[in-house]
Amino acid sequence: MGRWTPNFARLNSRRFGSLAIPILAVLSAFIVGSLFLIVTDIPALQLLFSGQPINFLTTALGNVVHAYTALLTGAFGDPARFVEALQEGTPEAWATAFRPLSETLVAATPLIFTGLAIAVSFRSGVFNIGGDGQFVLGALGATAVALLFRDFPAPVTLIASLLAGIVFGMAWGFIPGFLKARTGAHEVITTIMLNYVALQIVQLALRTDFMRPATGTEPISKVIDFVRVPQLIPLPGLRLHWGFIVALIVAAGVSYFLFRTTKGFELRSSGLNLTAARYAGMSAGGSIILAMVVSGALCGLAGAFQVLGTVKQMSNDVDSGYGWTAIALALLGGTRPGGVIAAALLFGALNNGGHEMQIETGIPLDLLTFIQALVILFVAAPELVRKIYRLKARSVDSGVALEEGAAA
Amino acid sequence: MRLELRDITKQFPGVLANDRISIAADRGKVLGLLGENGAGKTTLMNILSGLYRPDSGEILIDGEPRVFDDPAQAISAGIGMVHQHFMLVPVFDVVESVALGSEPVKGVARTFDRATARKRVQELSSQYNLDVNPDAKIEDLPVGVRQRVEILKALYRKSDILVLDEPSAVLTPGETEELFGIIRGLAAGGTTIIFITHKLNEVLEVADTITVLRRGRVAGTVLPNETSREELANLMVGRDVELTVARGEAHPGAVVLELKDVFIRNDRDEVSVRGATLEVRAGEIVAVAGVQGNGQTELVEAITGLRHIDSGHIKIDGVLVDQAKPRKVSDLGVAHIPEDRMRDGLVKDMTVAENYILDSYHREPYSSGGRFDRDAISREAAKGVQEFDIRTPSIQTHVGSLSGGNQQKVIVAREFSRPVKLVVAAQPTRGLDVGSIEYIHRRIIEQRDAGAAILIVSTELDEVLALGDRVAVMFSGQIVGVLTSDQATKEAVGMLMGGVH
Amino acid sequence: MTATAAPVNVTSEVVSGAERRAQRSARIRGIVIAALGLMAFGFASNTMASDVTFKFWIQEQGKAFIQIDTSPGILWILAGVATGLTGMWQLVRGPSMRWRLWLAVWLPFWVIAIIGSLLGGKTAVLTNLFSSTLEYAFPISMGAFAAMICERSGMFNIAVEGQLLVGACVASIAGSVALQLLGPDTGMIVGPILGPFVAALAGMGIGVLMAWLAISYRVDQIISGTVINFGAVGLTNFVYLRVLQGYTDFNKPPTIEKIEIPLLSNIPVIGPIFFQGTPYMYIGWVVMLVLTYYIFRTRWGLRLRASGEYPQAAGTVGINVIGIRYRAMLFAGAIAGFAGSYLSLHSAGSFQMGMSAGKGWIAIAAMIFGAWNPVGAFGAALVFGFADASQQLLSQLGVDIPPQYLASVPYVLTIVVVAGVVGRVRGPAMAGQPYEQG
Repeated sequence: MGRWTPNFARLNSRRFGSLAIPILAVLSAFIVGSLFLIVTDIPALQLLFSGQPINFLTTALGNVVHAYTALLTGAFGDPARFVEALQEGTPEAWATAFRPLSETLVAATPLIFTGLAIAVSFRSGVFNIGGDGQFVLGALGATAVALLFRDFPAPVTLIASLLAGIVFGMAWGFIPGFLKARTGAHEVITTIMLNYVALQIVQLALRTDFMRPATGTEPISKVIDFVRVPQLIPLPGLRLHWGFIVALIVAAGVSYFLFRTTKGFELRSSGLNLTAARYAGMSAGGSIILAMVVSGALCGLAGAFQVLGTVKQMSNDVDSGYGWTAIALALLGGTRPGGVIAAALLFGALNNGGHEMQIETGIPLDLLTFIQALVILFVAAPELVRKIYRLKARSVDSGVALEEGAAA
Repeated sequence: MRLELRDITKQFPGVLANDRISIAADRGKVLGLLGENGAGKTTLMNILSGLYRPDSGEILIDGEPRVFDDPAQAISAGIGMVHQHFMLVPVFDVVESVALGSEPVKGVARTFDRATARKRVQELSSQYNLDVNPDAKIEDLPVGVRQRVEILKALYRKSDILVLDEPSAVLTPGETEELFGIIRGLAAGGTTIIFITHKLNEVLEVADTITVLRRGRVAGTVLPNETSREELANLMVGRDVELTVARGEAHPGAVVLELKDVFIRNDRDEVSVRGATLEVRAGEIVAVAGVQGNGQTELVEAITGLRHIDSGHIKIDGVLVDQAKPRKVSDLGVAHIPEDRMRDGLVKDMTVAENYILDSYHREPYSSGGRFDRDAISREAAKGVQEFDIRTPSIQTHVGSLSGGNQQKVIVAREFSRPVKLVVAAQPTRGLDVGSIEYIHRRIIEQRDAGAAILIVSTELDEVLALGDRVAVMFSGQIVGVLTSDQATKEAVGMLMGGVH
Repeated sequence: MTATAAPVNVTSEVVSGAERRAQRSARIRGIVIAALGLMAFGFASNTMASDVTFKFWIQEQGKAFIQIDTSPGILWILAGVATGLTGMWQLVRGPSMRWRLWLAVWLPFWVIAIIGSLLGGKTAVLTNLFSSTLEYAFPISMGAFAAMICERSGMFNIAVEGQLLVGACVASIAGSVALQLLGPDTGMIVGPILGPFVAALAGMGIGVLMAWLAISYRVDQIISGTVINFGAVGLTNFVYLRVLQGYTDFNKPPTIEKIEIPLLSNIPVIGPIFFQGTPYMYIGWVVMLVLTYYIFRTRWGLRLRASGEYPQAAGTVGINVIGIRYRAMLFAGAIAGFAGSYLSLHSAGSFQMGMSAGKGWIAIAAMIFGAWNPVGAFGAALVFGFADASQQLLSQLGVDIPPQYLASVPYVLTIVVVAGVVGRVRGPAMAGQPYEQG
């Protein structure tokens, strides 16, 4: 069948000379988002249709400003709270002040892991859309092992559960990788299908007595309160845990792996030119499988940390579309670990702030999903952004080769 | 129809492909357009066929200026292109391929009137002696027949002006003669023909007028009976060219590469090499001649470990490598210069240094224990760049921005950077300028003199004759003859290439 | 130099290995199918004792019916016979037998037998099973058609999922608005027409957007498709939560009822299955037939296929490849959007978040399994539809199988198909590559 993969060579070799494109992309996305906000603001629209255009404008724009302000304070914190904390000086006050920022980092943690996972897969020329399935099964595995090991000392349980998350994720990544290496089955289809199958598996597992809580019939697991990932900031009620630090360390590790090791070199070469890599002696199938396994492992670890550190209870809602968001992150971050972290922080801020926005203004969180989609779109079409803002195009390919294609 | 192109100029980023080119061809005459790779021939023809717009200049048909915004307009003006790389859809059959774009239709749903088209194809086929089976699928047809379909495409559209772009590139000498016959027949019938090639002999044989292009300009227009090969070559490259490179004597030693009764299948599961037997010794160059598509590609792939063989054996330095992987073969001391450097040999978006270590990154000194030693890599890459005179701003430059010749040098530098026992080079100078060609040839001869065994596969007969201490010819999957340097005359090799033995 | 020896055609000389491989796999298939036949006989002997009842509505759902009392054993015997015969025919005919088509011969027997065995004595109304299959297959097959037209032209449309979703959403809104503005009488006529129409427009809009991004800005088609799916979920959820939940009048479209075709729906047994469906079903048949004709018999189809297989070849003979691709995306978008309107208008009666539930992806799988042609895609859609309908039937009857197993069937089946276990298929060669002329 036709080549269903994106042009990874272009993706992976793109570099942002400046931060102009990503920033403008985010800006443009927000502007379009505002338009949608205004268009669906029924009370304001009613003002317009009853002949009060000025009121309409002020109300609508006011709502937009209100929404985005809630977003910002939800993401980073309210200056007023900081002032209070300085005045009162109690741990609780400081906790309240820092909570938004802490929550942003909490939201960013799984994003960093999954973003790295997809970045690795992109770099290797494989399109892993199975992040959700690998995430969810990693969480399931971690929960199961935690319940299994509950009578062991807490550090042992913790490590074992995290490892289980990794293993489950690896397995779910191995399947599509193996199928592609052996049969050429396209990973876009297989990974997406496996996402749905993973959901069914989780549903089935949550119905077993082993996982179910003592009472209630919802598909959730027992609460995992007997083991936790240690808290990062010693203030009461802040959820930020060591998973965040681990994510940063893992990012450094991935960077090292991709750019300093021979296996990473193999993955990158396969991603840029599979044929040449083969001719140079690299194993194409091996690279594909390795990429998918690493990718799956990272997503599984993300799921494990999410369940053990943040949510503490397994259910199908543990995953809120991280797999898809991760694709956005990988693209936005230029498939580089540093960029992924930056993008993850941004999206974490958006998601977290979005919750606050939803609580305060009633605007659904999904607006941000939409905005995120727009961001990816603009980042993936830099010429469009340049055209809109009339930027000069950077000369990307200096020194065009005298290839026969152009001149013969 | 008299065709004239006046002062055609076309600029691409960084390259002036056509610089005020003027050519003219009369009705019923054959104009030979001669030039080496990169001279601007194809660009000029793309302008003529409506794919490009010229920056300035005009196209005149029978004295009237014409402007073509797209290929459809050129076609309706009577211009028919027979492309070097066939523009045929593999899964279509001959009728569909020929009629595409000018299909007869009937009914309100614009149903494709296959019967009418088929009849027309058969008519043209017999009128012009272009024998084809109208219902055959293109992908099942051999190359020579596909070219006939390409020509039929042009004739179907009643082209008065026929442009053939390097048509003999895929034909045996015998088929080429047939083609010349067809061309003369068409010209006699009033068609104006433009024949593009880089082969001196052909243009001398078939053209009524010869225009030579060099570096985007017209270097001269001559009549075939008033010129010579040497003069044409001179016009083509701008200086007195040594048509042969000083090769010197070979001193063959032990057998390094041994092929015995090798049978290989290609990707479509057809037998493409049957019973190949060959030996290459240290210190000698064996050049394999043959028209593209006679099994050379598969043979090279088998030797370098990229393809399994069905039966027979291949030994390198006494070691059996039938089912080996590329890495094992290269570990035995084999250097491989692949046919298509951009696709098979280099990663365009990686740096010169990274490409330099592409096949030995797993060895010392570049890495140990899976980790890279960056200083060692930079050092070695810089050495390679210096030694092989690679023109690049730095070793961190992306290889994609180098010129073709320098790209090939990167591959050669990489392959020759360690001691090699066997060099397998497929089309090593394809698409390169004359300077690079000379350089690569010199390097290969150097390797030979240092004791390596060299196997060169090339469709360029001149290259084969220039380099081969012994010349083997592949035809239809078999090695139909191995000639010594003295026996290998153009005629002898040409006959073997054509299957006559 | 004489040139009498014409080059020997490598292809014709030997029975090509490809042929030998095809013969071998045909033989394996034949043996496997025949073995399945034997297995069926084995099951038959086990289940002869128990019984099961199948009901078929004769002319109208819910009224008079034909009742067939039988035992699963008989069903297994029938399955065995059908399967065995197919297996033997495969062995006789070899590779030229169209085995995918023959699946339609023996597979249904197996499925009926399995259902019968699982029922454990209860009664199953098979008419509903079959008509549900057809109804379920509609959005899948339309989605497959949409994706197929695009791929045939050389573009990937993996945003089918998003187009379905957005189509469902706007159809509901448009239908509701019509109902509100025009009142119950006129609204019931205009709404069911306006809804799908607007949905088709929305689908076309998405298609044009994707085409524009891919052609003018060289955005990777997989990425733009993924982004659109992503964005569609966000957008429709947002609209639902922000507008539709609060102002439910926007989400109460007129439901499109079933229409009976006058004479044909009276045919016993067949009538209620095939001729008592929603207009969507009939349109689906028509689209399939029209597309098949168009793609393979008309000039447009020829040019479409050329654009997907080898666009340069088309370009050099003066065909406007870009134009063809835009038009393909437009047309496909309309089909997909229209199919989306089915989701919210046919019986659910309104738009729900995430309504498409992966149907867009299953549609793409159906396209692949159907080898990029409309009839095959429809057949594949039927298979998936049947799995879904069976699951519903079994759970309705209280058969104790966790629904998750059957719910996974379409997805697992897709993986199996894509992994080539049921035979490799080849798609348009140049699909997804940006078209660069010259």
